[in-house]
Amino acid sequence: MIQDIKSKCGIFNCLIILNLIFITSVSSQEKKDFELVFVSNFNQNPIEKNKWYISKNNDSIQLSTIKFYLTNFRIKNKNSSILLENQYHLVDVLNDKNLNLYIPNIHFNNGAYLVFDLGVDEKLNTSGANSGDLDPINGMFWSWQSGYINFKIEGISPSCNTRKNKFQFHIGGYQIPYETLRTISFKLDSNKNKLVVNLEFSNFFNKINLKTENHIMTPGKDANTLMNQLVNIFNENL
Amino acid sequence: MKIYKVIFIRTLVCIGLLMSLAFITLNNKLFFNYPEYWPAPNYDFKKLSMSNEEFQLGRELFYDPILSKNESISCASCHNQATGFTHVDHDLSHGIEGRIGNRNSMSLVNLAWNTSFMWDGGVNHIELQALAPITNKNEMDETLENVVEKLKKSKKYKNLFSKVYSDGEITGQKTLLAITQFVVMLNSYNSKYDKYVRNEKGGEYTYQEKNGLEIFRKHCNICHTEPLFTNNNFENNGLKVDSTLNDHGRYLITNNPKDSLKFKVPSLRNIQFTKPYMHDGRFETLQQVITHYTTDIQNSTTLSNNLRKKIKLTDEEKVDLIVFLRTLTDTEFLFDKRFKYPFNKIN
Repeated sequence: MIQDIKSKCGIFNCLIILNLIFITSVSSQEKKDFELVFVSNFNQNPIEKNKWYISKNNDSIQLSTIKFYLTNFRIKNKNSSILLENQYHLVDVLNDKNLNLYIPNIHFNNGAYLVFDLGVDEKLNTSGANSGDLDPINGMFWSWQSGYINFKIEGISPSCNTRKNKFQFHIGGYQIPYETLRTISFKLDSNKNKLVVNLEFSNFFNKINLKTENHIMTPGKDANTLMNQLVNIFNENL
Repeated sequence: MKIYKVIFIRTLVCIGLLMSLAFITLNNKLFFNYPEYWPAPNYDFKKLSMSNEEFQLGRELFYDPILSKNESISCASCHNQATGFTHVDHDLSHGIEGRIGNRNSMSLVNLAWNTSFMWDGGVNHIELQALAPITNKNEMDETLENVVEKLKKSKKYKNLFSKVYSDGEITGQKTLLAITQFVVMLNSYNSKYDKYVRNEKGGEYTYQEKNGLEIFRKHCNICHTEPLFTNNNFENNGLKVDSTLNDHGRYLITNNPKDSLKFKVPSLRNIQFTKPYMHDGRFETLQQVITHYTTDIQNSTTLSNNLRKKIKLTDEEKVDLIVFLRTLTDTEFLFDKRFKYPFNKIN
């Protein structure tokens, strides 16, 4: 009988210790609301509709549409990767949509990374009619060749020998070898609950020649090359 | 005792009410029927309610020209039930303002087994198929965004959508899903051929029909595979390129030269009524089709391996093959009232 009580006490003690460990581990994992902010610039001047910008190639540029998908947000620590909720966002730069993304209740250690994909993954490209930001109603879905447009950037430039001097880049494609999904990551500082990402569009337009490259509307090699350049617009604003 | 009796009766009444409710809901559920010896469908049905309400909403949308830019043509304009849900007598389909497309409309049948859609397989999912004709310049020339705007303004559709979705909100996804709920139910499995296979009454084959089936199994079945009469692949079936269309089919989607001149192998169900034939509707009759396969195959690097060896048929064998193909007609399907134009408006 006495032995019995002792062993029960032992179990209780163990439970208490386990509890303490649990509580301390939780308290050390302080959760906070995080804010991800996108600021768009062209040579450090804010991006606005109907405003002229000049690239290194001397292309004068006006932008009318800048839309892209950001998906699969996750926090990557040394050994783990935690997928966050609210996974799919269609960012519309010129209409000020989703430029401030709130990520509630997350925990990360110093040196962890915020990782997300630029574009929509293969699974969602092959899963039929989706809702919300992924609804084909948003004009970011190809109807004749199923697939999301991962990045849409349109505008005018006198360098374009096209109808109304328009340039149109609809970048997408989910099938290998023309997969246009790209992964972007930013190192996190555990003292901060905000990350400001500077979208520097000159990084893209300085690398292309609008005289010859002004119209890409299908998946393929050219779309892949352009997506590699579009990734370079994402910079941390230190 | 009395109290117990009352409680007992009340319980019985409650159970009765619950059961009748259950019966009603069961009644509103759709049953996706197909013969048990068929393969499982490719589509997963996950996003559909499989309710009569969604089916009727989809049926209204299918027959409503509201989907086109100037509200002049509907899905049914090119997919007519009596001709196996395709556009009879038109080699190329036409859209609003008489604009002519560049391909022959496909028949809509047993779509849940498809692995891709359109002649070039450009559409990867049944739920997204309707987007192609809605947005094509030569067909409905409309945007999904605008379709939803029009539906939102319609009292009828507000009501129909609220019967399916409690929030009553109309979205692009819900519109596409409703159309899917209708077209995915267009299953045909009661032709004379099916009854012959099942050994059912009405499936008694004549000598000619039996012989035709044997010829079919020997020469055609490898691509037009039973029981769906397609293997869902893309093949170059040796047609001479029409220089006015210069259509290279699957190549336009994949950019792979190996896919040049390949088109989706279409189902042959109800083929007696789905004329004209081929992706550009170049053949008016089944005789012409068989003449093509037996004498007119054009050799090229992407020609189907199954057509490299010449198919030789006697005149009698050709007739028997056509007689067999006519047994793929499913009149129950072609006259099924559930799929007809919705005359009884359900506002």
